[in-house]
Amino acid sequence: MPQHELILLKNMMQPGYTGSLVDYEKTGGYQALRKTLGKIAPADVTAMVRKSGLRGRGGAGFPTGVKWGFLPKDYQGPRYLCCNADESEPGTFKDRQLMERDPHQVLEGIVLSCYAIGAETAFIYIRGEMVLGAKILEHAIAEARAAGYIGKNILGTGIHADVWVHRGAGAYICGEETALLESLEGKRGLPRIKPPFPATHGLYNKPTVVNNVETLANVPHIMNRGPEWFAAIGSPPKSTGTRVFCVSGHVKRPGNYEVPMGITIRELVYEHAGGMRSDKPLKAIIPGGASAPFFTPAHLDVKLDFEHVALAGSMLGSGGVTVMEEGTSMVWAALRLMEFFYHESCGKCSPCREGSSWLVQTLRRILAKRGHMEDLETLLDLCKNIAGRTVCAFGDAEVAPIQSTLKYWRQEYVDLIHEAEAVNLIKLEPAGRH
Amino acid sequence: MPETTPQMVRLTIDGMTVKVPKGTLVIEAARRLGVMIPHFCYHPKLKPDANCRMCLVEVEKMPKLQTACSTPVDEGMSVRTATSVVNDAHRSVLEFILANHPLDCPVCDQGGKCDLQDFSHQYTATSRFVETKRIFQKEYFSPLIETQMNRCVQCLRCVRYCDEVMDVKALAPVGRGTMTEIKHFGVHPLNCEFCGGCVQICPVGAITSRLSMYEYRPWMLKRADTICGYCGDGCQMTVQTKEQELIEVNSAHGAGRNNGDLCARGFFGFHAASHPDRLTHPLIRRNGTLVQTTWEEALEYVAGRVSELQKLHGGESFGGLISGRCTNEELYVFQKFMRMAIGTNHIDSSARYGHVNGLHAMRLVQGTHRWTVTFDDILEADVLLLVGTNITQTNPITGLKVKEAVKKRRATLITIESLEPVMDTMSNIANLAHHHFRIPPSEMQNGILGLVKAIIEEHLIPEDITQRYPTYVTAVTTALQQLSWHDLSRATGIESDAFIQAAKVLAAGRRVIVLTGQVLLRSERGYTGSLTLLDLLILTGKLDQPGCGFAPLAEENNDQGAVEMGAVTEFLPGVFPVDDAANRERFMKQWNGKLPPTVGASLIDMLNRAKAGSLKAMFIVGENPVASLPASVRAEDSLRNLDFLVCQELFLTETAALAHVVLPAASSMEKTGTFTNTEGHVQTVRPSIDPIGESRPDWEVFAALFILLGMPMEYAESKDILKEIRSVISGYGLLGPTPLPPKVDRTVLDRYLAEGHHPDLATRYRLVAPHPRPDGTLQLEMAQSLFHSGKLSTRSKGLLQLEGGGRLRINPVDAARFALMDGDRVRLASTSGEMTTEIKIMERVPQGTAWFPDHFGQAAVGLFECAIDPRTHVPSFLTATVSMMKVA
Amino acid sequence: MLKDKYGKEIEDILSRYPVKRSALIPLLYVAQRDQGYVTESAMQEIAALLRLTPPQVYETITFYTMFNLKPVGRFHLQVCKSLMCALVGSDTVLEWINAKLGIAPGETTADGLFSLSVVECLAACGTGPMMMINDDYYEQLTEDKLDRILSDLRSTGTSSLKTGPFMWPEPTPAERAREA
Ligand SMILES: Cc1cc2nc3c(=O)[nH]c(=O)nc-3n(C[C@H](O)[C@H](O)[C@H](O)COP(=O)(O)O)c2cc1C
Ligand code: SF4
Ligand code: FES
Repeated sequence: MPQHELILLKNMMQPGYTGSLVDYEKTGGYQALRKTLGKIAPADVTAMVRKSGLRGRGGAGFPTGVKWGFLPKDYQGPRYLCCNADESEPGTFKDRQLMERDPHQVLEGIVLSCYAIGAETAFIYIRGEMVLGAKILEHAIAEARAAGYIGKNILGTGIHADVWVHRGAGAYICGEETALLESLEGKRGLPRIKPPFPATHGLYNKPTVVNNVETLANVPHIMNRGPEWFAAIGSPPKSTGTRVFCVSGHVKRPGNYEVPMGITIRELVYEHAGGMRSDKPLKAIIPGGASAPFFTPAHLDVKLDFEHVALAGSMLGSGGVTVMEEGTSMVWAALRLMEFFYHESCGKCSPCREGSSWLVQTLRRILAKRGHMEDLETLLDLCKNIAGRTVCAFGDAEVAPIQSTLKYWRQEYVDLIHEAEAVNLIKLEPAGRH
Repeated sequence: MPETTPQMVRLTIDGMTVKVPKGTLVIEAARRLGVMIPHFCYHPKLKPDANCRMCLVEVEKMPKLQTACSTPVDEGMSVRTATSVVNDAHRSVLEFILANHPLDCPVCDQGGKCDLQDFSHQYTATSRFVETKRIFQKEYFSPLIETQMNRCVQCLRCVRYCDEVMDVKALAPVGRGTMTEIKHFGVHPLNCEFCGGCVQICPVGAITSRLSMYEYRPWMLKRADTICGYCGDGCQMTVQTKEQELIEVNSAHGAGRNNGDLCARGFFGFHAASHPDRLTHPLIRRNGTLVQTTWEEALEYVAGRVSELQKLHGGESFGGLISGRCTNEELYVFQKFMRMAIGTNHIDSSARYGHVNGLHAMRLVQGTHRWTVTFDDILEADVLLLVGTNITQTNPITGLKVKEAVKKRRATLITIESLEPVMDTMSNIANLAHHHFRIPPSEMQNGILGLVKAIIEEHLIPEDITQRYPTYVTAVTTALQQLSWHDLSRATGIESDAFIQAAKVLAAGRRVIVLTGQVLLRSERGYTGSLTLLDLLILTGKLDQPGCGFAPLAEENNDQGAVEMGAVTEFLPGVFPVDDAANRERFMKQWNGKLPPTVGASLIDMLNRAKAGSLKAMFIVGENPVASLPASVRAEDSLRNLDFLVCQELFLTETAALAHVVLPAASSMEKTGTFTNTEGHVQTVRPSIDPIGESRPDWEVFAALFILLGMPMEYAESKDILKEIRSVISGYGLLGPTPLPPKVDRTVLDRYLAEGHHPDLATRYRLVAPHPRPDGTLQLEMAQSLFHSGKLSTRSKGLLQLEGGGRLRINPVDAARFALMDGDRVRLASTSGEMTTEIKIMERVPQGTAWFPDHFGQAAVGLFECAIDPRTHVPSFLTATVSMMKVA
Repeated sequence: MLKDKYGKEIEDILSRYPVKRSALIPLLYVAQRDQGYVTESAMQEIAALLRLTPPQVYETITFYTMFNLKPVGRFHLQVCKSLMCALVGSDTVLEWINAKLGIAPGETTADGLFSLSVVECLAACGTGPMMMINDDYYEQLTEDKLDRILSDLRSTGTSSLKTGPFMWPEPTPAERAREA
């Protein structure tokens, strides 16, 4: 296995590391906070993060420092930071590990980011099902508050940053940043129309930054070791740092692997995740969570960074890499994901709402051998009519599995339909006619 | 008047250039060019939600199609709405929307006025959808509103209207995704203000009215645009009829002063006119009983008796009382008839019950009898003070203006109301207030005094006011010195600081409007309270500022017109004092006759004279004093004492039952004329059905009597009367679509400030001592209910379904104190009488108070005493101290 | 009344948010903890606490999948059926449960002990197949493990097989040594 330095998972790999405040401090925890608060101007912190090239780990990959820079400069009222810990994208389970195993790393990142953007309150919006994660975070917050890292007048600097854990309650869409804000306001989690963006009209209509857990966890390291250090890791200039990839599916060692951006899918799957679990060859890969179009074995050498994955026709997304072996039905796989999207569509936009139910029903029909060749054109047409026509990016995401499986494995659909036709033929010929 | 003209932006839509204010949405800019962009979820009243995705358009330089309903225009923007890409997008969105639609147009009441039907036709939309459609279990929604959720397109317009416009929040989108369904709460039937807004705003047939279910297709209906007869807001509505049958009422977006919004009374209350109990023939008393007769006989009999009694006792032995729900034309002809044909000034109208209090105050202080502001000014206001309005229930549409000002335009709201700010099934204006003073009706004056005191003590009076009117300012200051914060706080339970905070807001406001309503106007301090509110506006320097003013709310739909037409004893048409020599001359010349020489008697005075025997005969038009006035007034005894009583009525009321002649009157659904709403806007009333039976508009009756009494008038139709009104009040009702309010008359104001304030000042700046209420008693209030207004609502089947009878509303704490549950029966007793009723627990009723709905108040009036204001002669009888006991 | 029973906790929750309505989901959790599901009177009480109308509470609660509006069994088994778990056998887990408890998704055992639901991805894709029982995750399910979980639950009300603070893969001793 290639050697590289771990950043985010480093602490937790140490024997006996519990994630407690004591353990975290022993590894140099909260030093970045001490170095930064009141000593480096907030605008300079933002500039450093911008310089590090850190991009969002939640899905869209937006440059974090640039996002922070969008907050109004002269605005007097409250501002908020929301840590997006909704982690609901199928195939993704990294934030859970970061929060449950090394919560203070996330908290330090949150407090530093609050400082940079001038927020005195941060909410960690954690998906409702992660009850344990919420408890661990709350415990860690209590520890940090007692030690003066969180709360009023942090470390005597006169700077305030309160952090609260807010549990969601079961809705994938609440990972979308504006739906998250609605949900945090106690409403149905429906995405908002953008513009205005959260940077100016976010939580309670106040300037707000929403960042993913992993994104924020990187911040203390950038402050500790400098933006140049960070910018040199991975695949500069556009994809710097490491990524915690979540490997799932038919591999020997599924799990979270932190690697510098830019390693190939092949390296990740065969060297880190131990290769395929059986002797069946690899058939398909989802490189960035359920919303990312499928790849084929031909894409194994695509580099896992923002540009290369996009160039190859998919997206790096949330870092969830799912591997499927030969013998997996791609129509079935597309249906399973489509069922997810149907279940999770918030129902706001008619194309997404009606389209997802239509797509699911059509796929089910094809899989049940009651399809027709026209269905394939209809499927593609519906996908085209959903993508780009909705309030949030969910619409683009939900069509990815169908579009990509139809692109690479159309024959599987056709075969099912031909079987369907055969079935129909048999049915259509009444017994005893000849 | 906006002080800055908005910045204009130029853009092109389909190649055509248009200039619109910055911030306009593309869909609205397109509408100006006549380009209609298809949409479901957009509605100009609502914040854009962009959920249906139907309105997609191409915008140059934007990679994706944009929703025209949520995209604001930009300088130089180029929009295309008619390309094949856009057309395909529209068609595809429509295909999605149709996918789960049941396509049950043949049995859908929306057929023919359905956006989905129209767009499907326009795009010749077909759907490739062959899968299973979603099906919702039919659930009971409400007795008046039908839902068919399978038809719903999930645009949420209903939900958004209910929240954003009404502030009621009764509708909930329940569930997620395709199975989202509009419901109320759990399995409960809808329980709300029943404004009908959700029915009106649904673009498809998902929410429809049960009152007209399966009865029509739109093209079968005849429509008449007219004015609602229920309250002083004067909403424009379209009454739809099939042959002589009233089918439905609605109001188009943009229509009238109400801008298409209605309340339950307007939307569901239209059946009163066609109630089976309507009087259809004249009745005449023979041997003690009323029997049917012909118009000829009835009118000749009336004319004969009038001549007889005139000869015997003179014109002054007659009195007349008319309802403020008649048209201006009728009110005018009525008073002219009484004054010129009969020769009496004993005239009054329902405006006497409170409306005149506000008018007299305005006349004294600022020389107008109308508001100096309009509804539009309410929308533009930055500070609104509401005093005793209970506005949601009494004047719901003015209430919507207040809500819009506060919710959308961020005005600061101060309320002095007898309301507990709680959320329940109806909106509650106190919930929106930034400063709320909860004060019982009889002590409302104390709240106003608190504000005035704070203005003075915090030195919030503008310099030039103090300098220009030193005597006045000193007089008020001195009068207030004997009022200590300590006493005031003890009486109101409110700390001085709260008054000071609110006073500062008032003083800092640029456009400040004070609205007051029945709770103050009909109380013993209706007049002095109004004067004090005007003082407040003077002392803050607002009274004569643009966009500022005092706005007393009218209760009946034409109370304002009643006064302006001279249907009150003290005023000639145009609100000229009846003893003003110059105007008397003018009227006598124009009317070609002699005005009665003496000042007349008002309502209670007339009844007293009748009881004493000096008043011998009365004409009563649409009023029912026997039931409206407290038993202690003994109106029935008075009327029985008359030699001759003529009633013009729609129904055989308690009063009409005493008459010698009863003439069947046409309702406002059946006649032409004008109403003047609370802000002084004169609006046209048009008939939607023919008069029921042989009923006739009231003006026709007086026109006929004029002839029979030998003074023929040339009134062939109601228009001729309006023409004559305009000849005596120049320009009456010619005001165009937006009324131009009068301005404060400087000379009158100066006179008031110099000496006019003297007579009342000392008394009105005295603390109103709280009613000493022994333990175990409650303060009973007659309160108006949202579901009833005017004298007809209790004959409307729709409204009766919403509220079919009177129940006493009390606070849960009081309920617990008296060990009562919803529906328990109680006996109330005051020094004047007693009654039994059922109770209903309502959190918004303040502790220690009980409300009884005015319109079911016949039993309750026995409990009240009546006090008469010595200056305005307004009888007030809305509060009484009662003891309460549970009965089995 | 929740207020009487959880007054302090409710106050605590309310104090965190500058706008009351934000406390809605946290308060609904309190209500659900109390009765196992959110009752209508709880919704009304919460509405009053937050100055909302009951329909506003109702619309919110029905958007989220984690709130029960009806009673559920003492142990609520929620099996992930999303693609990643399905690739490694979640459908089989459902079959096992059906064979052992006789319930299909949406059903509750006659003794009221177990309810079964299928749910979408719970962020445990690397350790599937998995399920959540009440507040706990159970991952890398096998038939044997399932038997032990069910019998533990029956006898003690909980099971030591639930997942603790999550990390996967657990590092090998060599890896740990390198980081140390
Ligand atoms: C449908 C949808 C679901 C999303 N779910 C998540 C999520 O679970 N966690 C997350 O961090 N970001 C999620 N995102 C991305 C967020 O909208 C947002 O971009 C992100 O939180 C920003 O943080 P970052 O810049 O640190 O990545 C989702 C986006 C969409 C459109
Ligand atoms: S009921 Fe009508 S208005 Fe309301 S959301 Fe459905 S379709 Fe729209
Ligand atoms: S797919 Fe099952 S937890 Fe993610």
